[in-house]
Amino acid sequence: MEDYEPTIIAFTCNWCTYTAADLAGTSRLSYPPNVRLIRVMCTGMVDPKYVIKALLEGADAVLISGCHIGDCHYMNGNLKARRRVKLLKELLPRFGFDEQRVKLTWIGASDGIQFAETITEMVPKLKALGPNEVRNQMVL
Amino acid sequence: MAKIAKIEVKEQNPLNSLQGFFKTLLEQGEISAILVPQHLPMKDVVMPTLVTDPEKLNGTDPLAPVFPMNAAKLVSRLTGKPLGGSVAVVLRPCEIRAFIELVKLKQGRMEEVILVGIDCLGAYSNVDYPRFVGDDGTQATLRFCQNALAGKSTAVEDFDLSPACKACEYPIAENADVLIGLVGVDINQQMLVKANTPEGEALLEKLKLPEAKEPDGRKKAIDSLVAQRVAYRDKMFAETTEATSSIEKLTSYLANCVNCFNCRVACPVCYCKECVFVTDVFDHEPTQYLRWAKRKGIIKMPTDTVFFHITRLAHMSTACIGCGQCSNACPNNIPVMELFRTVSSHTQKAFDYEPGRSVEDEPPLSIFREGEFLELTGGKE
Amino acid sequence: MVTFTLNGRQVEAEEGSTILEVAETYNVKIPTLCNHKALEPAGLCRLCTVEVYDGRRTRFVTSCNYPVWGGMEVKTDSEDVIRHRKMIVELLLARCPNNEFVKGLAAEFGIEATRFKLEEDDCVLCGLCVRMCAERMGVSAISMTGRGTDIRVETPFQIKSDACQVCGACESVCPTGRIDVREIAKYEPRPLLSDWEVGLQERGAAYMPFPQAVPLAAVIDGEACAHVRTGNCGVCREFCEAGAIDLDMKEEIIEVEVGSIILATGYDLMDPSPMKQYGYGVYPNVFTSLEFERLSNATGPTGGVILIRDENGELTVPPKSVAILHCIGSRDVNHHEYCSRVCCMYALKYGHLIKEKVGHETKVYNFYIDLRCFGKGYEEFYRRLQEEGITFIRGKAAEITDQAITPEEEGKLVVIGEDTLLGKRLRVPVDAVILCMAMEARSDALDVGRIFGVSQGADGFFLEEHPKLGPLNTATDGVFIAGACQGPKDIPDAVSQASGAAAKSLALATLGKVLVPSTISWIDPNICAGCQTCIGLCPYTAIEFDARRGVSVVNEALCKGCGSCAGFCPSGAAQVRHFNQKQIFAELDGVMDAISAVGI
Repeated sequence: MEDYEPTIIAFTCNWCTYTAADLAGTSRLSYPPNVRLIRVMCTGMVDPKYVIKALLEGADAVLISGCHIGDCHYMNGNLKARRRVKLLKELLPRFGFDEQRVKLTWIGASDGIQFAETITEMVPKLKALGPNEVRNQMVL
Repeated sequence: MAKIAKIEVKEQNPLNSLQGFFKTLLEQGEISAILVPQHLPMKDVVMPTLVTDPEKLNGTDPLAPVFPMNAAKLVSRLTGKPLGGSVAVVLRPCEIRAFIELVKLKQGRMEEVILVGIDCLGAYSNVDYPRFVGDDGTQATLRFCQNALAGKSTAVEDFDLSPACKACEYPIAENADVLIGLVGVDINQQMLVKANTPEGEALLEKLKLPEAKEPDGRKKAIDSLVAQRVAYRDKMFAETTEATSSIEKLTSYLANCVNCFNCRVACPVCYCKECVFVTDVFDHEPTQYLRWAKRKGIIKMPTDTVFFHITRLAHMSTACIGCGQCSNACPNNIPVMELFRTVSSHTQKAFDYEPGRSVEDEPPLSIFREGEFLELTGGKE
Repeated sequence: MVTFTLNGRQVEAEEGSTILEVAETYNVKIPTLCNHKALEPAGLCRLCTVEVYDGRRTRFVTSCNYPVWGGMEVKTDSEDVIRHRKMIVELLLARCPNNEFVKGLAAEFGIEATRFKLEEDDCVLCGLCVRMCAERMGVSAISMTGRGTDIRVETPFQIKSDACQVCGACESVCPTGRIDVREIAKYEPRPLLSDWEVGLQERGAAYMPFPQAVPLAAVIDGEACAHVRTGNCGVCREFCEAGAIDLDMKEEIIEVEVGSIILATGYDLMDPSPMKQYGYGVYPNVFTSLEFERLSNATGPTGGVILIRDENGELTVPPKSVAILHCIGSRDVNHHEYCSRVCCMYALKYGHLIKEKVGHETKVYNFYIDLRCFGKGYEEFYRRLQEEGITFIRGKAAEITDQAITPEEEGKLVVIGEDTLLGKRLRVPVDAVILCMAMEARSDALDVGRIFGVSQGADGFFLEEHPKLGPLNTATDGVFIAGACQGPKDIPDAVSQASGAAAKSLALATLGKVLVPSTISWIDPNICAGCQTCIGLCPYTAIEFDARRGVSVVNEALCKGCGSCAGFCPSGAAQVRHFNQKQIFAELDGVMDAISAVGI
């Protein structure tokens, strides 16, 4: 699996992490191209279904990233997201999805560097983990 | 201190005495109706009935080892909006627990309902019950109760009680308003009636039943029954965990799912009016199927089966009370209950949540707090 | 009303008023030492003596406490009166022969020398200080002690008073400058420094905020005002002819309903004290840029004359050479990485002002990293300054010291740096140094941001909605930002941004209605099961339960579209428009289709 490139689907909140990713880009920071962003207004609107679906479609990891606690543009959306991620982290490993395949981070709008670092750190870990088993299953 | 009374049993027929009790309840309990399972006259099946006439209680058989559906859904229908009178509902512990979950989700109200719980000795699946009962009706019920309470095997031919019941560690409806106790009680002599709430006590007052004491053996008998079931449950957890521990295994576990959604229809805590999987969100473009297929060269149809089950786990595993109606409803014999209970044991523990315990407990995803689950983000807020 | 004659003129006065008061209203000047508007008349100095004729005989009375009556004839400047007063002044001159005030008073009365025995005192025993302390301050930390020729002003037992509240009222009313509150009070007086003059000047507890204040009205510093603190004093009220002073004003919270808000909270100037190498606070003639701004300002503490501190710390000496150090705290990885943008231009302006005001021979050295003269006319100004003979040294100054190693460095501040264009280390002796301090976000920006829902960028300044497309907007609708609270900027930029913000804000206000964002939630009534969990999750209380239909309903005017409801709703009845599940899934499918097609 040397040429295996993991796919990360990142649900990023419009106000913080999406902006941070933008900043990482405009700051010309380089980070692995393995991530695809899906912008949401707030991590609080990330339905657990999205994460499940992404993994079932073959994504190797799902990153949910929003504003730091206390900085949520909508006051407490990230607190709700945290509970939902907690649930997913209990649920998905039961079916062999490694715990690392769902990740929650708080990356503020100005943390372009942290965004780049987060992705840079995730990719080798996912490579070590190997591809999502779903890729070989005829299942959705 | 809970108030305890007894129903005296005559002619070694607890069912008749129970029917008498319900009659008294309807006549003297100042209630409008009673919801209780009865043998239907037209066919020997047991179904919940809503009775207002005390004379129409003759087929009552809440002890029959079957519950074709989780009656919490019916109580929810009765209490969703003001009823204009109170109704006593005779339920199994799992039905009461499901109803409490539904009340939290505003699908029912406690105000006009008296929960009457009966110690649950378990039930056969909807398919197995007719084979068990034959045309014996209430006699089969009595035979079953005697056997079960004596600790004898409930297995008949090639079948036994449903796995959900065998794994159920909640045989006693401690959170009912009025509890009818069988376990550890000589039901040929008497049955216990225990009021657990002020509403239950008020009701018992009206019925003027003889007072009683809890028999010494009851606690021990309950503990032993629960221990037996916990042992079965843990074995089931271990087996199911093994059988679903990878996506490949889960796929084969759910291989014959046809997306009929019967499990979710039967599930008492799946309270959605319309499951999201039947809304237009899952009304995929035909071309999308082709693209999915193209990715791997092959895709199982119907799609979204594993997705449906994992999503349903995400939605309601914290509320799963383990009644097993999902398995009961599955046309293709997928052991849905086993999967759900196994996963639920983890998700419920994660939020320190026990479904059906009390209406005061808030469902895990309906609340959120600062400073919790910090481990998800490296220990920091 | 009573009528009487004042210096031969018929005058009218309120009954009960004193001759001195009436004389004042008729512009008749009566000299006095011990009279004070805020104090009860005491008749102590007797300088206000006038002549009163009652029709039978003439009497000499102290006008400050002699009430008027009908028919009296008052003469305030008769020969007898003047002779009388001269005698008093001559006696005072004998008592305080070296006091400037008394000498001036004597000169006014034409007295050159005194015939009496000279003493060495500065106190004229007017008692103003003692009366002020007792009557208005309610303290009586000092009093008149002794009798006859031994009478003097003292604290009890002649020890420093701990009853004294160090208000300095005694000092402020003393005509001769004899009273020094330091001799009275046990505690060291703390000067009230003017914020506007960045501490270069003192002010009273009642003061004009700054010369261009709008409205141009005095304010009272409640933390320093003796009345606010103790309920006493209130002297200012006696002097305000307009009666505009309300010392009993209470703090009130005023709620104003507005359609939009503009945050223009400005910036803080970075404090140079922690940067020990520049010796701010150690060497008196190291100034921050803002201090120098006041020193060169016509309304500043020196009236616009550029002066630096003498050995007593007073601003008296014109500098012969000045070093201007650019980028202190800005463009510095140890402090702020950003450029403060305004320093280059004001540094050039300072150079120009020094040359113009102090004299062309004054040497001005600019230690700079880069000169960023990017605005309209700025580069031309830079070129002009080069022609004016200002020295530009490319290299950030490393240190300021007073340790001379050559004779010409003696008594000077030495700026140690490097001219990176010449590749030479330099020691430049100067009289004064100006530190061009970084502009930084206000220390309370976090709290203010929380109130208005505006976040801060990494540099601490308020974050605009978008650097290019929404530079005036913030994450909160209807809240705009202008000026240096958003980032360092000069006046033209601040004015443009503020005008833009004002226009945006007016546009909102005049519209009279609010356009709700299209990205808000919607609950499908056909799917909603009425569990009402979303109501508990909504941070804006934007969801209500419609009991008749048994469904939850989104109030579109309140919903901000965060999707807390949608993230929970298991049936997908609650969804955010433009971020609905079908759209997210389509996006996800698209991404995954593309990835499976190309491999990554």
